[in-house]
Amino acid sequence: MNSFKVKKKILDVITHVILIAVAITCVFPVFWMLSSSLKTNEEIFKSISLFPEAWQWSNYTEALLKAKFGMYFLNSLIYTVVGVSAIVLVTSMAAYAFARLEFWGKTVLFYLLISTLLIPIPGAFVPLYLLLKSLHLLDTRTGLLLCYISGGIAFGLFLLKAFFEELPREIEEAALIDGCSRFGIYWRIALPLAKPAVATLVIIQCLNIWNEFLLALVVLQDPSKMPIQRGLMVFQGTHMTDYPLLMAGLTIATVPIVIIYLLMQKHIVKGIAAGAVKG
Amino acid sequence: MMNASPKEKTFNMLFILPALLLFLVFNLYPLLRTIQLSFFQWNGIDKDMLFVGFAQYKHIIFNNPAYWKSMLNAGYVTLLCLTLQNGLALLLAILVNRQIRGENIYRVIFFLPPVLSGIVVGLIWKFMYDGNFGILNSWLAAIGFEQFKDFAWLSEIKTALSSVAVVHMWKGFGYGFIILLAGLQTIPNELYEAAEVDGADTWQQFRHITVPSMIPVFTMVTILTVLGAMQIFDLIYSMTQGGPAGHTDVPITKIYQYMNNGEFGYSTAMAVIFGMVLLIASICQLYASKKFNK
Amino acid sequence: MSKRNIVIALQTLCLCLAIFMVSGCSGSGSAKNEEVIKVWHWMTDRQEAFEKLSKDYYDQTGVKVVFETYAPTDVYKNKITAAASGHLLPDIYNPQSDKKELASYINAGYIADLTDEMNTGWKDVFFEKSLIANSFEENNEWGVKPGIYGVPLDVSSLMIYYNKDLFKQAGLDPENPPKTWPEFIEAGKKLREAGIQPFVSGFGEAWLIGAFAASYQWSLFGKQGIIDTIDGKIPYNDERWLKIFKLFEEMRDNKMFASGIVTMVNKDAERTFATGRAAMTFNGSWGVNVYKSMNSTLNYGLMYPPSLPDAKYPLLVFGGDGSSMFVNAESPRKDKAIAFLKWFTQKEQQAYLAKETLNIPSNKESADDLPEILQEFSKSITKTFDNLPKLEAWQVTNYININLQSVIIGEKDPAKAVKEIQEEKLRQTKV
Repeated sequence: MNSFKVKKKILDVITHVILIAVAITCVFPVFWMLSSSLKTNEEIFKSISLFPEAWQWSNYTEALLKAKFGMYFLNSLIYTVVGVSAIVLVTSMAAYAFARLEFWGKTVLFYLLISTLLIPIPGAFVPLYLLLKSLHLLDTRTGLLLCYISGGIAFGLFLLKAFFEELPREIEEAALIDGCSRFGIYWRIALPLAKPAVATLVIIQCLNIWNEFLLALVVLQDPSKMPIQRGLMVFQGTHMTDYPLLMAGLTIATVPIVIIYLLMQKHIVKGIAAGAVKG
Repeated sequence: MMNASPKEKTFNMLFILPALLLFLVFNLYPLLRTIQLSFFQWNGIDKDMLFVGFAQYKHIIFNNPAYWKSMLNAGYVTLLCLTLQNGLALLLAILVNRQIRGENIYRVIFFLPPVLSGIVVGLIWKFMYDGNFGILNSWLAAIGFEQFKDFAWLSEIKTALSSVAVVHMWKGFGYGFIILLAGLQTIPNELYEAAEVDGADTWQQFRHITVPSMIPVFTMVTILTVLGAMQIFDLIYSMTQGGPAGHTDVPITKIYQYMNNGEFGYSTAMAVIFGMVLLIASICQLYASKKFNK
Repeated sequence: MSKRNIVIALQTLCLCLAIFMVSGCSGSGSAKNEEVIKVWHWMTDRQEAFEKLSKDYYDQTGVKVVFETYAPTDVYKNKITAAASGHLLPDIYNPQSDKKELASYINAGYIADLTDEMNTGWKDVFFEKSLIANSFEENNEWGVKPGIYGVPLDVSSLMIYYNKDLFKQAGLDPENPPKTWPEFIEAGKKLREAGIQPFVSGFGEAWLIGAFAASYQWSLFGKQGIIDTIDGKIPYNDERWLKIFKLFEEMRDNKMFASGIVTMVNKDAERTFATGRAAMTFNGSWGVNVYKSMNSTLNYGLMYPPSLPDAKYPLLVFGGDGSSMFVNAESPRKDKAIAFLKWFTQKEQQAYLAKETLNIPSNKESADDLPEILQEFSKSITKTFDNLPKLEAWQVTNYININLQSVIIGEKDPAKAVKEIQEEKLRQTKV
């Protein structure tokens, strides 16, 4: 018993050493970003110290004003919330069907749907642009959202199908016998069971939509519809980048996505499946 | 499961209908247009496009060695990612999954690199690698490697591509980590409890419970890693521009370059060829994982 | 509990979606009654000055001009390309392209011909060279009707900046920078001996390394020689091209290049020079403003790229128009847009822009009260490259630049590099 405890202790120590080492490399850039956002433009180039000589909090207020974040923030929030919810809904339904149900052309359709993971992005925006134009969706939020949603299908499908397949079938079969409808099983049993995977999908898609801006810039004409990344452009001059303001702006733009991650990652918690089995 | 009746088979299609509709309009149609464009010589501006058949494909295949070199470069990055990045992601996922103290903090920290924008990551690493005042060289000097003073990691033929690959792995391992972690979390605890009662040790549990349940997740992570690494772009663009002398060029930087020089048709042909390479790679992986699963 | 949450979330979502679809559709139609001239540009750092001028213009004429920034330039270019294919270009823009592509925009009817307007005296206010990139000669390769199509907003040229303090430190005369190539190499050696990196530039950006080489191309080949090379009458393994490559090799052998120069973008090179980590840099006139903001106490002077003693032709520098604007030929507000640009390039407005953004105005009358260093730059404008009726295929130009990088990192020797460029040239003419 005692030796078992000692062994566990040693293992724990090794675990922590590895984890902390990796963690440091992950945290360092964030510190750098934060410290750069509090320096002056001259200082950034002259000193590599992680601590600013004088803390320029005014960089943040200036960045907020210059980048008009207020206006763009709400847009980004809407695009992310609506886009990601729709992606989760549409892809989880389809992924469940591909994992569990039988229907016509199943295999072919699956590979067809995930094939979009394979199209390299540059150049694809011109056909998309022309398509939106002919649908009269150019310069509309709907058009941009539909692009985002369809852009997330392949990945979501791919991710969720694998998880649905691994869920124990017994509960679903029991529910079917109890007279639950197919949709009911998906909605009440399978989807909650796949919560860790759904949370993962939400995190990754939030990141994609929140950080996307090339498509938004091309599709939208009206600045009042543009996302938050549009604001960051202000700091990147042709010949000069205002690094402190850019870093302050990036910090402001990163905070919401970190919060989303903090909220979602809690759902990737041990024992969900086990809990459900116990009822 | 039991066999479905034809009526049921039709009804079940309702589940995939929204996805399918969106796909047809917003993915398939642009894809087909892209393929169509690849048979034309067109600069994106001219009113008329010149139909050239397979001429551009032929030119890419036989007369564009730089493009194929860029493919090899991406392949090299991919190999590194498959082994090192995924190995690290799996190790970390397992360690964090051991229910140790501070689990939550690690989980948050490991996902920071993917959360950071490509601009920050490119900037900070370029700054670390810098030959003139980079931190990496001063650290190396501090532990006794004086010869690296002035060494420009991103500009030397031997180190440029690997240096970029390291950054890509650093930025990407968080994705693998959370997907693998979600996979580990979905494995019912009962399986481990039962195994423990039967006297299985940690390795046996790993070998006989973790690995088999995780195969679909492994397959997925592998495929996503390959797709991500092959399509690496913004880091390269912000760190080396494909240099020195094309040694860090990858397919997407090449496609982008041709597009920006008014070679729209040609660049779509490049994209189609690249898409086919990726498709073949993915099919091979799926096939391999199915074999492995049996 | 969690189930209820999901249901609530879903209801909110549906509501959001519904509101969104409605707002998305209704929003697009409104607020288009007023006539507004739209300008898309990429010069983020000049936005404030542009806005101020546009306000003045509104006060004077009642015509509203809106400047919208899209940066960096490749993002801007993507937006222009897409907008062109959808016939949704703004009234004033710049396709950010080489001459061949510019010709396509003109031939496709996206850019208005300004020749008549320019001939009413407008063109006389500009530095002559600033119009070169915006005009087409008789019998140009692309079949564009000869004339002037664009309006230069500023001019620029590329020269070598040198750090006077570092020159002193290495025992060089800070008031007498090297004029010839051997002096240049000699200065480099002295700087290196003093522990100073002699030369930096954004050679990771292909065009910049190409611009440096092009000065020597003009000096060794002359205009006709360059045209003959493009036509394939002079091969790239000509000894003069070999000589150009050997210049880079000589610089490398004398350790003149700063560490990491082949992957440096210009912004990094500017930082290296501004922080005194290199003594000389090849950069454009915009650098004056950049260095001022990065290190206001930097003590530097200007010199031409060092000349070759045995060269047949004068050494010219890369430059001419800095940023230009074009008028959308499809725009119903075309005349108003032209009138605005006319006003915009007058002496007073140009002087304001020059003062605010430290660029050399395209209007030569406003160039007199510039800071000294910019005056020096503005003098070099007359020594910029001449107009060419044709361009080398960009693949070949790009291949030259890549091979210059290869020589710098010691991957290829000059003889091999020029041989391979000639092979690429033949490969491109095959299509």
